[in-house]
Amino acid sequence: MSTIVKISNLDKVFGRLHVLHNLSLDVARSEVICIIGRSGSGKSTLLRCINFLEEPSAGTIEVEGIVVNAGGKGKEHRDLVHAIRLKTGMVFQEFNLFPHMSVLENVTEGPITVKGMHKKEAIEIAEMNLERVGLDEKRDEYPNRLSGGQKQRVAIARALAMEPRVMLFDEPTSALDPELIGEVLTVMKKVAKEGMTMLVVTHEMGFAREVADRVVILGEGNIVEQGSPSEIFSNPKHPQTKALIERYRTAES
Amino acid sequence: MEQSNTKTGQEKGLADQLYEAQQRKKRAFNTNVAISWIVLLLFLLYLFSGISISIGGIHLKTIKLDTEFIRENLAFVASGAGVTIGISLLSIALATILALLAALGRLSKFPPIYALSTFYVSLIRGTPLYLQIFFFFLALPQLGIILPGLWAGVLALGLNYGAYMSEIFRAGLSSVGKGQREAAIAIGMTQGQMMGRVVIPQALRFAIPPTGNEFIAMLKDSALVSVTGFVHELMWRATKVGRATFHNLEALIMAAVFYWFMTLIFTYFQGRLEANMGKGDR
Repeated sequence: MSTIVKISNLDKVFGRLHVLHNLSLDVARSEVICIIGRSGSGKSTLLRCINFLEEPSAGTIEVEGIVVNAGGKGKEHRDLVHAIRLKTGMVFQEFNLFPHMSVLENVTEGPITVKGMHKKEAIEIAEMNLERVGLDEKRDEYPNRLSGGQKQRVAIARALAMEPRVMLFDEPTSALDPELIGEVLTVMKKVAKEGMTMLVVTHEMGFAREVADRVVILGEGNIVEQGSPSEIFSNPKHPQTKALIERYRTAES
Repeated sequence: MEQSNTKTGQEKGLADQLYEAQQRKKRAFNTNVAISWIVLLLFLLYLFSGISISIGGIHLKTIKLDTEFIRENLAFVASGAGVTIGISLLSIALATILALLAALGRLSKFPPIYALSTFYVSLIRGTPLYLQIFFFFLALPQLGIILPGLWAGVLALGLNYGAYMSEIFRAGLSSVGKGQREAAIAIGMTQGQMMGRVVIPQALRFAIPPTGNEFIAMLKDSALVSVTGFVHELMWRATKVGRATFHNLEALIMAAVFYWFMTLIFTYFQGRLEANMGKGDR
C-alpha cells in the first residue's frame, strides 16, 4: 500500500507548552485511522498541523508527494501549504458552516472561489455531495435552520466538494446531542467505504472499532501505542491505553 | 397516555394564560405611552397656537406664529429636506467605506497600515466636526484647493463619521468567530478570499443596524454644512428666510419639524431593519 500522508519528526510548541514531541506517522492510501487520547494529548493539534491551521514548530508534513518543512516562509512555502490544503478536507467539531450562505452555497463556495470553477459545474458537484450526505432536499435552507447533525453532514459535503485526497475529522460528533451522532457517523462510514483516506480524532469507540483500519493512541505529545482495533481494544499493552479504554468502557456501560 | 395528555393540556393552558396576561400588560403599557405622547404633542401645538385663555383672572397667553409667513415659505424650506437626505446619503456612503478600511487597518499586522488607521481615527476624533467643515471649505482654498460647498461638506461629514464608525466595523469584524476563518482557510481560501467572502459579509450584517443609527445622526449633523452658505439644505433655507424678514422663530420651527419628521421615519425603518437583521442566520 502506498503512503499518502507522511508525518516526520513533528514538534509543536505553544509558548512553553510542548504539545507534540517528535511524532512520526505514515498513513496509507484509503486507510482510516482513529486517533484517540486524553484531552490535552495533542490529538487536535496533530490534525491541525497536517493542513497547517497550526504551523508546526519542527518536522515535515508530506501529502501526496508535496513536502512542507516546518518554519518555512515566503511565497514558495505558502504555495506548498496551499497545495496541501487543496488535498485535505477538514471537518470541525463546531461545524463552522458559513451562516450567510445557503446550504448549496456553502458547498459551492470552495469550488467556485478557490478552484475558479464555473457556477453550473460547482452546483452539480455540490448537489452530488449533498446527496452523498443525504441532504439534497435542504439545499436552499440556511444553516441556522438545520439540526447539529445536519450541519455536520453539510460540513462534510462542503469538504468533499473540494475533492480532497485525505479527510481530517476533528472530533466531528463531540458538539452533537447523543441522538444526532448516529447520522454523522453513518455518513463517515459511507465515505470510508468509498475509499477515502481518513484521519479521525474521536471519542466514539464503537466507530473506531467498526470502521478504523488502525487506532492510534496519543499521550503526552506522541504515539504511545497503535494497532488494529481488535489488538488495541482486546489486548491493550501500554498502561495509558489500558486506562483510556477502561474509562471508555465504564462510560459506555 | 390519556392522563399525560390532559396534564400537558392543562400545563399548556396555564402557559397560554400567563403569556396572554403578559401580552395584555405590554399592550396596556404601549397604549398609555401612545396616549401620553399625543397629550404632549397637543400641549406643544397649543403652546404655539396663539390661543389665549383666561381662567378666573389668570391669562394664559401662548406663542403666536405668523402663519402667512409659514405658508409662503413652506415650499422653499421643504425643498431643503431632499438636499439634507442627499448629503447624508453621500456622506454615510463615504463614511462606511472609510470605516471599513480603518477597521481593517486596525487588524493589520503591518505597522504603517495600523498606524495610518489609528492616526486617522485619533486626528478626526480629536477635532470638532464644525472645525473640519470649515477647514475643507475655508482653509483649503488658501492652499489652492477649492471644493464646492457640497463636496466640502460631504468630505468633512464622511471623514468624521468614518472615524467614529470604524469602531462599529471593528466590532463587526471581531464578531466573526475564529472557526469561520479556519473553515475558509481549510478549504484553501487565501487571506483575501477569506476576508472578502466570509469575514466581511458577516461583519457588514452585524454593522448595518448601527450604521442606520449613524445615518439618523448624520441627518441632523448635516445642518452644520449650512455654514458654507453654498449648500441649500434645510438649515440653510430656514436661516435664510428667517433672517431676511426677522421670522427666525417660524423658520426654525419649520426646519425642526422637518428634521424631527425625517428622524421618526428613518428610526422606524431602522428599527425594522434591526429586527430583521437580529433574526440572522446564526
